Amino acid sequence: MTHILAFAEQRGGALRKVALEAVSTARGLADGQDGEVHALLLGAPGIAAHAESLFEYGADVVLVVEHDGFAQYNAESASAFVADRIASGAYRAAIFAASAMGKDLAPRVAGKLKTALASDVTSLAREGDAYVVTHPTYTGKVIATARLLAKPALISVRPGAIPAIAKPRTGRVEKVAPVGDPAKSRVVVTETSTSDSKKLDLGDAPVIVSGGRGLKASEHFHLVEELADAFGNAAVGATRAVTDEGWRPHSDQIGQTGRVVSPDLYVAVGISGAIQHLAGMRTARTIVAINRDKDAPIFKVADYGIVGDVFEVLPVLTKAIREAKKAQG
Amino acid sequence: MRIAVCIKRVPDMDVKFRIAGHAKGVDETGLKYDMADFDGYAVEAALQMMEKEGAGEVVVVSLGPDAVQETLRKALSMGATSAIQLKCDEVPFDGFAVASALASELGGATYDLIMFGRMSTDNANGVVGPMVAELLGLPVVTACSKLEIVAGRGTARRELEGGAEFVAFDLPAVVTIDEGIARPRYPSLKGIMAAKKKPLATKPANLPEPRLVIARMDLPPERKAGRIVGEGAAAVPELVRLLQQEAKVLA
Amino acid sequence: MASSNAVFLIILVLAAAVFSFSAQRLVRFLRLGQGTHRFDALPRRIVNLLTIGFGQTKILRDPVAGTLHALVFWGFVVLQLGAIEILVAGVVPAFSYADLLPVPVYRLFLLTQDVTSLAVLVAVSVLLYRRLVVKPRRLQGDQVHGGDAILILSLIAALMVTLLLTSGAERVTAARAPAIVQPFAAALAIVLSRMPDSLLSALHGVSWWSHALLILVFLNYLPYSKHLHVIVSLPNTFLSNTSGPGTIGTMKAMDLDAETEQFGASDVTHLSWKNLLDGYACTECGRCTAACPANMTGKPLSPRKIVINTRQRLSEVAPSLVGADDPMSALPMHTGPRDDTDSGARDRRLLDHYITEDELWACTSCRACVYECPVSIDQLEIINELRRNLVLTESRFPEEIQPAFESMERNGTPWAFPASDRAKWAEGLDIPTLAELLERNERADVLYWVGCMGSFDERAQKTTVAFARIMKHAGVRFAILGQEEACHGDPARRMGNEYLYQILAKQAIETLDRYRVTTIVTACPHCFHQIGNEFPQLGGHYEVIHHSTYIEQLLADGRIALADPVAQRLTVAYHDSCYLGRYNAIYDAPREVLRRSLPVVALVEPPRTRDRGLCCGAGGGRMFMEERIGERINVERKKELLATGADAIAVACPFCMTMLADAGKKLDSSVTVLDVAEVVAQHLAEGVTAVPRDVA
Ligand SMILES: Cc1cc2nc3c(=O)[nH]c(=O)nc-3n(C[C@H](O)[C@H](O)[C@H](O)COP(=O)(O)OP(=O)(O)OC[C@H]3O[C@@H](n4cnc5c(N)ncnc54)[C@H](O)[C@@H]3O)c2cc1C
Ligand code: SF4
Ligand code: SF4
Repeated sequence: MTHILAFAEQRGGALRKVALEAVSTARGLADGQDGEVHALLLGAPGIAAHAESLFEYGADVVLVVEHDGFAQYNAESASAFVADRIASGAYRAAIFAASAMGKDLAPRVAGKLKTALASDVTSLAREGDAYVVTHPTYTGKVIATARLLAKPALISVRPGAIPAIAKPRTGRVEKVAPVGDPAKSRVVVTETSTSDSKKLDLGDAPVIVSGGRGLKASEHFHLVEELADAFGNAAVGATRAVTDEGWRPHSDQIGQTGRVVSPDLYVAVGISGAIQHLAGMRTARTIVAINRDKDAPIFKVADYGIVGDVFEVLPVLTKAIREAKKAQG
Repeated sequence: MRIAVCIKRVPDMDVKFRIAGHAKGVDETGLKYDMADFDGYAVEAALQMMEKEGAGEVVVVSLGPDAVQETLRKALSMGATSAIQLKCDEVPFDGFAVASALASELGGATYDLIMFGRMSTDNANGVVGPMVAELLGLPVVTACSKLEIVAGRGTARRELEGGAEFVAFDLPAVVTIDEGIARPRYPSLKGIMAAKKKPLATKPANLPEPRLVIARMDLPPERKAGRIVGEGAAAVPELVRLLQQEAKVLA
Repeated sequence: MASSNAVFLIILVLAAAVFSFSAQRLVRFLRLGQGTHRFDALPRRIVNLLTIGFGQTKILRDPVAGTLHALVFWGFVVLQLGAIEILVAGVVPAFSYADLLPVPVYRLFLLTQDVTSLAVLVAVSVLLYRRLVVKPRRLQGDQVHGGDAILILSLIAALMVTLLLTSGAERVTAARAPAIVQPFAAALAIVLSRMPDSLLSALHGVSWWSHALLILVFLNYLPYSKHLHVIVSLPNTFLSNTSGPGTIGTMKAMDLDAETEQFGASDVTHLSWKNLLDGYACTECGRCTAACPANMTGKPLSPRKIVINTRQRLSEVAPSLVGADDPMSALPMHTGPRDDTDSGARDRRLLDHYITEDELWACTSCRACVYECPVSIDQLEIINELRRNLVLTESRFPEEIQPAFESMERNGTPWAFPASDRAKWAEGLDIPTLAELLERNERADVLYWVGCMGSFDERAQKTTVAFARIMKHAGVRFAILGQEEACHGDPARRMGNEYLYQILAKQAIETLDRYRVTTIVTACPHCFHQIGNEFPQLGGHYEVIHHSTYIEQLLADGRIALADPVAQRLTVAYHDSCYLGRYNAIYDAPREVLRRSLPVVALVEPPRTRDRGLCCGAGGGRMFMEERIGERINVERKKELLATGADAIAVACPFCMTMLADAGKKLDSSVTVLDVAEVVAQHLAEGVTAVPRDVA
C-alpha cells in the first residue's frame, strides 16, 4: 500500500495533456514519501512509445497494456482492468483526470472496489491518514474542502487545475497482460462523430460565441463562426436583433424568448446586453464581452471585457485562441 | 416498462450563497429548493418513454430528510407514478454512501431502467449513477443526451469532449442523463392536485459510514465584475491569459 | 272585420308562443354556463345602461356607421310605441292612442312616428349600400353572417315602407291630425288620394297586414339570427363587467381549492352564462377586431371570432346537452354545427376545434376590444379563461414562458435575476427600506413599489432612480421594500397561471401587511393595476398611486422646483399605456406632468391615442413570448409615434419603454424614448428644495 497509480488517458493513440497532469499530481503526492508513481497506459499495440513522456512528468513505472480492444476507450473492460489492478493491493491512491472519460471511468472503478471517490478536485494534499481535497460545488459558487478517508484513495482531478510540471525520472516500462477480453462490453458503440462534422447544440456546448447587431451585416458573421471554430468546442449564438434580420436562424437566438444557456464560457460580440438577452446567458460561468461602447450594459455582467471594434479585435482573438488551443494538444 | 429515477433536492443556484455558522455547509436561510436540473431532465425523459409506450411505471426515489418529499411530489405532479423517500437526516457528501443506500433499495425491486441526472447541481460529484450500476452489476451509460428504448434494447447518444458517440445496450441498465434530452415539463395545477393522492413510501436509508466528509465550505475569492481588460486588439493577449489561468475555461 | 280580428288574434298568440319558446330555449342554453353575480353595483349598471345602452355612446365612436346605427336604434325605441298600437288595434279595431292621450301629446307621438320611420328608412338604405357596395373591411371575415345582415336590413326597410304606406292611406280616409304632424304620411296621402277608393282600401289592408305580420316575423326570426342583439344588447350592457374605472379589467377571481379537475375553460360549459350571453349579444360589427393590435399586425387572433365561436359552439353542443328538453334539436339552425351530419358535437370543444392556441397567446390584454364593443361584451374574459385552462389544466403554453414561470417561483421575478440583486439600483442613493425604518422606529409616508422591470432592467432602472430623485427633491418620506419586494404575480396571472399568481400575490400581501403599508406609489402601470385593483380579491387593500399622478400632484402643489427650461423646446408624443389608460382611465396626468415640467413643450398626439391608444405589444405576458407571426406590434406603434414628427416619445410604463426602444433600434430611429419621470428629473433645480425635507 505504498505506490500511487495515475491513469494516463490517451485518445486515438495520442497522449492527452490530462495524462501528464495526473502523473504530475501523483508525483507531487509521492515526493517526500516512500512509494512509486505508476502510470497506467491502456491502448493499441505501439502505445508504449508514450512511456517517455510519462517518465518526463514523474512516473517511476509505466504499466502498459497493449491490446486492440483498448484502442478506443471501452468503459467496461477499462474499469474492470483498473479496478483489478488497484485491488491487487499495492496502491494507496489512484489518480484520474476528471475529463469526460475520467468522469465515466473513475466512479465505475470506485463502485467495483466499493469505495469512495473524491471527484473533480482542484487541489489535493495528504494530511496524516487522509487526503484533503478541494472541489467546487454549487456551480462553482462554493468551494468544498473534504477529507477522503478511504483506502485506497480514489481521486479524479479537474483538467487544468493542477498543472503538469516536468520532473523527469528514469523509469521502467512493465507490460501487463489484459484480464479477459478487452473488446467485450455490454454497451456497444455503434457510431462516433466529432464536433466538426456535427454542429454542437447550444445547450451542450461548453463555449458559446454570440454575435449581436454590432456585426452590422450578415456577411460579417463569419468572424463569429471562426472564433467558435478556434475554440473547437463552441457553438454560435445570436441576439434577437440578429435573428430578426435573418443573419442567423431563430433557433440560434439566446435570451428570454430564445434559448436559455449556461455554458462555461460565453463570448458576447457586439451585443449591448438588453435584459431579454441577459436572461438567456447570465448564468454562464465566465462571460467575455467585446463592444466598442464602454457603457454598454453587457459589461456589467461580463467577467472580462474588451472595449473595441469587433472587426479589429475578433481576428486577433481568433488567432490567439487557436494558438492557445494548439499548445494544449 | 418499470423505470426508477433517482432525484435530488438542491437549492436554486442563482443566488449568492453564504456559509453557515458551522462552516460545513451553506446557510440555508432564504434558499429556494427544487429538483436538481439534470434529475429534472431524467424525470422528463422517463415520463416521455412511459407515455410513448402507453404503459409502465415511473418510480421516483430520493434520499434525504422529509423536505425531499416536496421534490418527490413535484415529480409526481409531472406524472411519475409513485415515490420512495429513503429517509436520513442529512445527505452525505460521499457519493459512494449515497449509491450504497440507493442500490440497496433499487436492488430489491425489478426495474428495467434506472435513471440519474449526470450529476447533482449542488455537490457536482457525478458519481452516484455509475456506482449504483456497479453495485448492482448492471451496464451503465453515462451522460446521455438522447435515449430510446425499443423492445428491451436501448440506444443512446453520449456527449464527449469534441464529439459524440452512439451506443446500444440491453435492459436492465442504468443511464445518467445530460442536458439536451428533454426539457422538464411544467406541472399543471391538475397534476399538482393529482400528485397529492399518489403513493409516497418512506423507508429508512441504509447508509454506510461515509469516507468522504466535508471539512469546510468556503466562498471563492470574489471576482470583480465588469473588469475591462483593455482596449482594442492590444488587450487580446491579456484576455487569453486570464481565460487560461484565472477562469480556467480554455482547457 | 270581426273575423279578421280573430284571425289576427290567433296569429298574435301563436307568434307570442313561438317567441316565448325560442326565448326559453336560449335561456336554457345559457344555464349551461357557470354562475356569476351580475346584480351588484346597481347604480353603475344603470348608468351603463343609460349611456352605453340608450345613449349609444360606444356606437357613436364610429362617426358615420355609428350615427346611422344609433338612428336605427333610437328609431326602434320610438317605433316600439307605434308597434304596440298597431298590434292592439289588430285585435281591437277601435283602439287608438288618440282616445287615451291628450291632443298635443298624441300629435307629438304621430310626429315622432312619421319622422322616425322615414329617418330609419334612410339610415337603413345607407347601411344596405355600405354592406352591398362599400363593403368595409371590418364587416368581413370570421365567418360573419353577411347575408343575415342584409336580410334584416331589408326587413327593417320593408317595415318602414309598410308603416308609411299604412299611415298615408289612413290619412286619406280619416286624417286624425293636421298634416304638419305627419309630414311624410301627408305627402304620401296626396299621391294616394288620386287612387280609387277600393284600391286604396286594398292597399291599406295589404300594408297594414304586411306591417303587422312583418313585426311578428321579425320578432321570431331574431332568436335565430345575429340580430338577437336587438333584444339582448341592452340586458347585456346592464349585466356587463364594466363597473367603472378602477375595477375595469380585473381578472375574474378564481377558487383554486374547489374540488374540480377543470381549471379555466376549454369549452362553453366552463364559461360563465354571461360569457355565453355575450355570444348572443354580438352584432358581428367587428369594431373589436378592427381595434385589436394582434389582429392588425397579422396574428390569427380576432376578438370577434372568439365571441362568434363561443356562440357557434354553444349552438352546436347545447341541444345535445339539454337533450330531450329541446324539441328543436332535430332542426338545423343557421348557427348550428359546422357539419350538420356530424354527431360528434360532444367530442369537440371550444378550444382547438374553434379557437386555437396561437389565437389565445397572441392577445396583449390591451382591452381595446372590450372598450370598443358597443354592446359591452368582454372578449378578454373568454380569452383569459381559455388561457387558464391551457396552463392550469393542460400545461400547454409557448415554451419560452416556462423560464419566466420558473423564475417567478425561484427568484420572485419573471426575469432570471437573483432576488438579492433587486435593490442594487439603490446602492449609494440613501434610500431606506421599510425594515431599516422599522429598526430606527421611523415611518414612511409612502412605500415606493419599484417592480421587477424597475429593479432589474438597466433602462428601467434609470426611471426608477429618476422618480426616487423627484421624491427626495420634494421631501417625500418614502421607503422601498428592498430585497423583500417580490413579483406580485401579475405576469403569471395574465398568462393563465393563476396558481402561481395567488402564491406570489398572497406573499406580497403578507409582506405589505406586516409593515402596515397603506399608501403605495409605483412607476409601473401593471404593478399599479395589480396591487390597487386585483389585490382586494385576495384581501389586500391599499391606496396605490401611479407615479404620473403622483408627480402631477407634487408639481401642482409646488413641491418641485424646476430649473429654468431655457431654450428647451421639445416636441413630445406621449404613448398611452393600456393599463393606465383603458384599465384605469388615467390619460391626463402623464400629459399634465409633461406640460408642467416643460413649459415650452409641444405635445403631439398620434392618431390612435388616449382610449384608442394602440398597445405597445408587451401586455398579457407578451413581454415574455416571442412574436413569431405577422408584423411586430411595437414596430407598428413606433411608426405611428414617429410619424407625429416628435423629437422624443414619452411613456409612463417600463414595458412600453422596452417595446418602443426596441422598435426604435429596429427602425434605426434616433428619437429617444423617455419616461415622464425622467423628463421631470432632468429639469430638477439641483440644490433647490421646494419644501424642506421633513425629518422625523
Ligand atoms: C418581448 C421581447 C423579447 C425579446 N427577446 C429577446 C431574446 O430572447 N434575445 C435577445 O437577444 N433579445 C431579445 N429581445 C431584444 C432585446 O431587447 C434587444 O433589443 C436585443 O437583445 C439587442 O440585440 P443586440 O445587442 O444585438 O443589438 P443592440 O442593442 O443594437 O446592440 C449592438 C451593440 O453593438 C455595439 N457595436 C456596434 N458596432 C460595433 C463594433 N463595430 N464593434 C463593437 N461593438 C459594436 C454597440 O455598442 C451596441 O452595444 C427581446 C425584446 C422584446 C421586446
Ligand atoms: S385585449 Fe387587445 S389584443 Fe386581446 S383580443 Fe382584445 S384587442 Fe386584441
Ligand atoms: S364583440 Fe362587440 S365589437 Fe366585437 S363584433 Fe361583437 S359586437 Fe362588435
